[in-house]
Amino acid sequence: MLLDLRVSFFLAIRGILRGSRGSLYLTILIIAMVFTNMIFMPSIILGFIKVAEDQIITYQTGNILISPHEDEAYIEDAFALQEKINRIPGVLRASVHYSTGVTLRYKGNTLGSNLVAINPDDERLVTDVYQKMSDGYYLADGENDEIIIGIQTSGHKDESLDMGATLGYLKAGDPVTVEYTNGISKVYHVKGIIETGSYYADQGAYITWDELESVYGRDMDLATDMIVRTDPDAYEPDVKTQIYRFGIREKVQTWQDLLEEAMGRAVQNFAMLNSITIIVSLIIAVVVLFIVIMIKTLNSRRQIGVLKALGVEKNIIIHNYVFQVLIMTTLGVIVGTTLVESMVAILTVYPFQFPDGEVTPVVAISDLINNTIMLYIVAFIAGYIPAWRVASEDILTAMRS
Amino acid sequence: MIIAENLTRTYDMGKVIVHALRGVSLTIQKGEFIGIMGASGSGKSTLLHLLGLLDKPTKGRITLAGVDVKTLNDRQRTRFRLKRLGYVFQDYALVPELTVEENVYLTSMIRGTSKEEYQAQTYSILERIGLSDRLNHKHNELSGGQQQRVAIARAMVNKPEILFADEPCANLDSESSRNVLDLFKQINKEMAQTIVMVSHEDWHTEYFDRVIILRDGLIISDGKKSD
Ligand SMILES: Nc1ncnc2c1ncn2[C@@H]1O[C@H](COP(=O)(O)OP(=O)(O)O)[C@@H](O)[C@H]1O
Ligand SMILES: [Mg+2]
Repeated sequence: MLLDLRVSFFLAIRGILRGSRGSLYLTILIIAMVFTNMIFMPSIILGFIKVAEDQIITYQTGNILISPHEDEAYIEDAFALQEKINRIPGVLRASVHYSTGVTLRYKGNTLGSNLVAINPDDERLVTDVYQKMSDGYYLADGENDEIIIGIQTSGHKDESLDMGATLGYLKAGDPVTVEYTNGISKVYHVKGIIETGSYYADQGAYITWDELESVYGRDMDLATDMIVRTDPDAYEPDVKTQIYRFGIREKVQTWQDLLEEAMGRAVQNFAMLNSITIIVSLIIAVVVLFIVIMIKTLNSRRQIGVLKALGVEKNIIIHNYVFQVLIMTTLGVIVGTTLVESMVAILTVYPFQFPDGEVTPVVAISDLINNTIMLYIVAFIAGYIPAWRVASEDILTAMRS
Repeated sequence: MIIAENLTRTYDMGKVIVHALRGVSLTIQKGEFIGIMGASGSGKSTLLHLLGLLDKPTKGRITLAGVDVKTLNDRQRTRFRLKRLGYVFQDYALVPELTVEENVYLTSMIRGTSKEEYQAQTYSILERIGLSDRLNHKHNELSGGQQQRVAIARAMVNKPEILFADEPCANLDSESSRNVLDLFKQINKEMAQTIVMVSHEDWHTEYFDRVIILRDGLIISDGKKSD
């Protein structure tokens, strides 16, 4: 058996090295393209998901979001809870939010927006929004009459960059009127403009907690949500479990939960698209390899008949072609991997620009391995069937061809 | 030694039944150089295929080196051909992707001969046929006569009990044909190689020890030449 396989391999190597160069290169190229196709699509999707993850963690909710129980509008005793959470091992800091719907007015433009009250010193430790001021400065604790606004609400200088209605190019230093739902209307000084690249974060407007209390005329110990940053090596689901140990009624979600909620459908659709791409790729691979081996074997029918007459076992002949296919597949996978790696390298330097950020393909090793295995299985079948058909022919029939 | 008893081979073509062989009996002794002759369609190739285990008779019995070949299954027939028989065909049928030497030792590899041994055997047989300077040539770098001699070397490297050749000179000019026939004769004489060769060229008879003439699937003449 081993001896026979060695002979098959001997024949396969000769068949590849001394057969038609053109068709060899073409076959390898096609397998390489098929492989690239199988890897590239999922890598872009993973890239998208990675961007979404980063944005959720960095600019929106940190690692964990705590929101009120579904029967309630607010988290009560918010600062006491914040204190407790801050003490959990693995938690860097929790930040309390109070958000409310407001109307913004600037130079005749009116826009509904979500205004969030924050404690800037806490918030700085939880999100990186403070690093993303495209104009002016971030808020500081205790400041009154100041507001910071996201660029998708303030508006770009170049209107074509706006993704929705805006206030029409509001800048740091400009006055903006905020109308609260309780009837209070107040003019704020725009301290800075936020531009993170995350559409969600760039729509918001922020004031300090002190400002909120002065507008409401009382101490506020209510929160609409609380966001938590964990240690880089903490495992969020563990921290989530710890928070639940306080026996709180509030809803605690890790960023993974949120991503699942926000993108679950999209990810499912992507996965579907992905499967279609992979199936189509595999079909192309099967057809190409099948045809290549069918032509090779049909051209060698008489040859194969003669070898069998000389006493060469049918399996040696079949395995010869199977080895040829597997060798071509190996070369195709190597070329394909090189292609994918080069494309990833190029796209890392020049990423795809999407509204939600810069997307760089992320190649998952598991995808590489799975697709390689699938390609090998498919190649094996595509080589075996035509080789088996010709090698099973009666000796004299084959020799007469 | 080959004993063929009352071999018939019919092809059922639906409307007609072709009687390629109608009852052929013969005995071939070790060391004989036998020519099977006759007009085209007389059943020469059919007989050779039956004797060489490439086909099965409709009726009759073949005993090869003491073995009733009916008792062999397909795998055993393949092994038998690999280990004990040799073949030369009209169109040489060298494996195009292999060099001269690789073509010659391919079946030795399968038989499990060691590399040193089969390389030595290959060299010595190629030297004998005057092609030892062509070890690494490809078939398309050789003339028809040279290719046929490589095919003979391939068949001979294993020192088969019987060497079968079906019109090995049909594609060759008369000079190359003589070269090839001389080689067969030399092998037959020097190595006491049993050879069964199909031919339809009358002048080939001078090379054979014994000539069997077929007509319509029957032996009409079987004569040892008295030399
Ligand atoms: N596979 C086959 N199917 C049908 N008829 C065949 C087949 N092989 C040979 N024959 C017929 O058998 C007869 C003998 O053929 P063959 O042995 O090839 O003759 P030869 O080699 O003497 O020219 C011919 O009539 C030929 O047509
Ligand atoms: Mg014939």
